[in-house]
Amino acid sequence: MGSQVYVNGKEIENPHEFHHHVAPKKQYVQVLGALLVLTVLTVAVSYADLGPLSLPVAMLVAAVKASLVCAFFMHLKDDDRFNVFVFVGTLLFVAIFFSFTLFDLGARNAVNDEQKTFEYWNDEAAAGNALKVGVDHVPEKAAALKAAHAGGHGDGHGGDHGDAKAEGHGDAKAEGHGDAKAEGHGDAKAEGHGDAPAGEHEAKAPANHEAPGGH
Amino acid sequence: MSTTSHGSGQHEEYPPYLAHHFDTMGQQAGAAKLGMWLFLATEILMFSGLFLAYFIIRYFYPDMMLSAHEFLQKEAGALNTVVLLISSYTMAMAVRAAQTSNTPSLKRNLLWTLLCAGIFMVVKYFEYSAKIEHGMLPGRFYEAHYHGYELVGLPHIFFAVYFTMTGLHGVHVLVGMGIITWIYIRASRGDFHSGNYIAVENTGLYWHLVDLIWIFLFPLLYLVR
Amino acid sequence: MAHHPAHADHAPEPDYIRAKKGIMSWLVTVDHKRLGLMYLASVLFFFLVAGILAIALRTELFTPGQDFMSAQTYNKVFTLHGAIMVFLFIIPSVPAAMGNFLLPLMLGAKDVAFPKLNLLSFYVFSVAAIMFISTLVMGSIDTGWTFYTPYSTATGGAATMAVFAVFVAGFSSILTGVNFVVTVHRMRAPGQTWDRLPLFVWAIYATAVIQVLATPVLAITVLLLGLERIFGVGIFDPALGGDPVLFQHFFWFYSHPAVYIMILPGFGIISELLTVHSRKHIFGYKAIALSSVAIAIISFLVWGHHMFVSGQSELAGIVFSFLTFAVAVPTAIKVFSWVATLYKGSISYTTPMWYGLMFLWTFTIGGLTGLYLGTLSIDVHLHDTYFVVAHFHYVMVGGTVVAFIGGLHHWWGKMTGKMYNEKAGAIGALLVFVGFNGTFLTQFFLGHQGMPRRYYAYLSEYQFLHQISTIGSWILAAGLLWTMIYLLHSLWYGEKATGNYWNATSLEWHTQSPPIEHNFHDTPHVTGSPYDFPEIDKSGATH
Ligand code: HEM
Ligand SMILES: [Cu+2]
Repeated sequence: MGSQVYVNGKEIENPHEFHHHVAPKKQYVQVLGALLVLTVLTVAVSYADLGPLSLPVAMLVAAVKASLVCAFFMHLKDDDRFNVFVFVGTLLFVAIFFSFTLFDLGARNAVNDEQKTFEYWNDEAAAGNALKVGVDHVPEKAAALKAAHAGGHGDGHGGDHGDAKAEGHGDAKAEGHGDAKAEGHGDAKAEGHGDAPAGEHEAKAPANHEAPGGH
Repeated sequence: MSTTSHGSGQHEEYPPYLAHHFDTMGQQAGAAKLGMWLFLATEILMFSGLFLAYFIIRYFYPDMMLSAHEFLQKEAGALNTVVLLISSYTMAMAVRAAQTSNTPSLKRNLLWTLLCAGIFMVVKYFEYSAKIEHGMLPGRFYEAHYHGYELVGLPHIFFAVYFTMTGLHGVHVLVGMGIITWIYIRASRGDFHSGNYIAVENTGLYWHLVDLIWIFLFPLLYLVR
Repeated sequence: MAHHPAHADHAPEPDYIRAKKGIMSWLVTVDHKRLGLMYLASVLFFFLVAGILAIALRTELFTPGQDFMSAQTYNKVFTLHGAIMVFLFIIPSVPAAMGNFLLPLMLGAKDVAFPKLNLLSFYVFSVAAIMFISTLVMGSIDTGWTFYTPYSTATGGAATMAVFAVFVAGFSSILTGVNFVVTVHRMRAPGQTWDRLPLFVWAIYATAVIQVLATPVLAITVLLLGLERIFGVGIFDPALGGDPVLFQHFFWFYSHPAVYIMILPGFGIISELLTVHSRKHIFGYKAIALSSVAIAIISFLVWGHHMFVSGQSELAGIVFSFLTFAVAVPTAIKVFSWVATLYKGSISYTTPMWYGLMFLWTFTIGGLTGLYLGTLSIDVHLHDTYFVVAHFHYVMVGGTVVAFIGGLHHWWGKMTGKMYNEKAGAIGALLVFVGFNGTFLTQFFLGHQGMPRRYYAYLSEYQFLHQISTIGSWILAAGLLWTMIYLLHSLWYGEKATGNYWNATSLEWHTQSPPIEHNFHDTPHVTGSPYDFPEIDKSGATH
């Protein structure tokens, strides 16, 4: 009897059709070879001083490697076109995500303070103000470390200038910034209302709490 | 108009590995593969957030990035790159072995892949230990400047990015090792042959994605200047 | 369109509810219909919980001063209300509950593509729910559902747990999305071509695409936020060298598309309700179907409209404001097509139709006020006021929840095998309509007058409008409770539902109510549009 078989809403010719494409072994070996060569290339290029070009070049080589893996190891070359579409479409959305976000960060024109969070720290460093780094944000731990490393422990790690420098950290400047900054993000409407969940974190609470919500 | 195309009892051949809600193997395998590609899409988008964070930090703190990345061991990174590429190759060969119903070769290649993954994790372990020992820890735990290392700017961000990116990638490697082990057990039972190998193929796709991400992580974290 | 399989030669088969017995047969089921019901029960439970919180919030706002909630408590309650409503009710509501039940039926398939994944997704959702609830005993969260940094990196309480709960919930959403995309691509019945898919399927498909593309970014966002809290990684926290506005970019890259995860399925339901209950072929089938996909894509280009006054660059603000208007185009196409569908239709005022008509009013108000907010200069004034609260409730409640309740009535007999009482349904719809508009229409005025959102107390000038709003919320609550009561009542005392009680044509009506375990006795064969009603004018038909 005419037992027709349908897949995805369409009639198909041969119900046992099961598409697969077996690539020759040699091809896989060649691809691996190419990948290893390209790896050597990236490492080599990283020693050559390409200046601002180094990032694009490194990304280009990585992209070539990635395409090789996709096309041959992941079989996209002979696969259902729709899977290719899914993959390329994904990259498109990654591009949207990247471009808008980077565009905004690049376009911040520092008319007001809150638009230049990152630049602030670079300005501070350029002005010769020591920045608070890592554990310095946890005063008790930093103090304990300072004490423990006071006795020339730094030598063990190959640096004898450790102690002197460490003193400079924990500058009041950096502290002050945390507050002023956060305040800047606040909203005029916040002022004067006592209900913002401030708690111990006076500095940040009112600022952020008024931040916009959503749908 | 409704016609009855095929009722329940009409499949002369309904292999045990064909689930009841599919009509043909082609449909089942196609569905599984599309599902896998969609899953990979979600993985790519998830990692993209980390890459974006990396680029932004790099864009705003270039000097810090340059000074901090010098402390990663290029050789270890390169070794791991090679190891992962080879594992990708052996995985591709495993899929090919399944396609050609060659179970011994399938099992062998899966073991090679597992071995490479193991080496990768061991190298990672040594890298991490070195970082931890030098106090080059993420964020608030960063204390390298008390160990005598003076880095420019705010290096705790670089190490946070480093640990997050490689950590999340490492978790994927571990998950991959688990899946490959499971596929190995199934292969030993004789589950896979040219008529049914989509599970092997999907595992391969996942594993290649893990490799793909590393292909970008390696130059960004270890090499770029 | 296909017709009832007129095969009398099948022995009567038990329906899917009675096919297997015992609690275990539910806990490990892979039947999409049972999972749909399990999701339905879960999301309705969370709707109830978060609804009670909402009434508490509104009641606190009855007078200008503090009544029974301190500022801190109010913050925690609105956060819990918003977060539960968004992550545990509305996102899984239509897709995971109704979509699960209906999608394979509408496609003429035996199940979704990955039934086991479907079960896994349900359990992942349950874990997320438990994690969320556990924050209650860990000191609660007071960040608002948006978790904005830097406050969220510093506040105590259970924010870390809440953030990871969102991560897990996102995982469940991704699994459902992947499953549905594959199901639509690979599981369609013979003859079920893309232009013969019911519009509900198109809507769920577009939703699933967004779930797959956007949710991973939410996952990484909350992961980074969790790490920021634990390690202080310094990406989002300005004190450590990061940028809090960056968090908003990450968050809204997901959350603006996510508002379409919430509303698109509602659109799909409305397309079904309006045609079936006016017995007229949908107007502009292709336009409605493709506008869902267009919305899904454009929704990724507008997220910055949440950040106009957050320190985003002005240039980005202008670009995002412009793009925001683009979303209105496909949305308007839909509304026009629905209205045109009703024109000269033979409308029957059933409960689903009441909800369908209600949607046309309330959603349109919600959508149009979105354009006010998308206008850069106007948003500077309206941002973070009750105008925003009113806008998103008109969309979420007046749009999605209304569509959801309408759909629940439409397919209630299909799902449960019992009919609800029409008169009771009409009373419920009236209460919901009056209560809803009373609650939220007033809030547009409040917001316009400058009443900020997220406050437990206010100036006495606002008292009159606030009191109307609160009374409205009580009426709304009464309407919803009434609806719950008569629906539950129908489970025991309702009339038995016939296989095709609306005399509709899409495939889910070609099997008995409730359907048998494998949906259809024979694989259906589709030969035409799902909206060819036998007795009606086909002037709107495109095929
Ligand atoms: C059942 C009737 C509802 C009432 C009476 C109600 C009432 C409220 C109130 C009073 C607030 C706090 C506003 C403020 O102080 O800023 C609020 C916030 C919110 N509601 Fe509702 N709501 C209802 C249903 C819903 C539904 C169904 C959803 C979502 C699907 C929802 C989502 C939200 C969100 C996201 C917030 C913002 C929370 C935040 O600011 O973090 N609500 N709602
Ligand atoms: Cu939005």
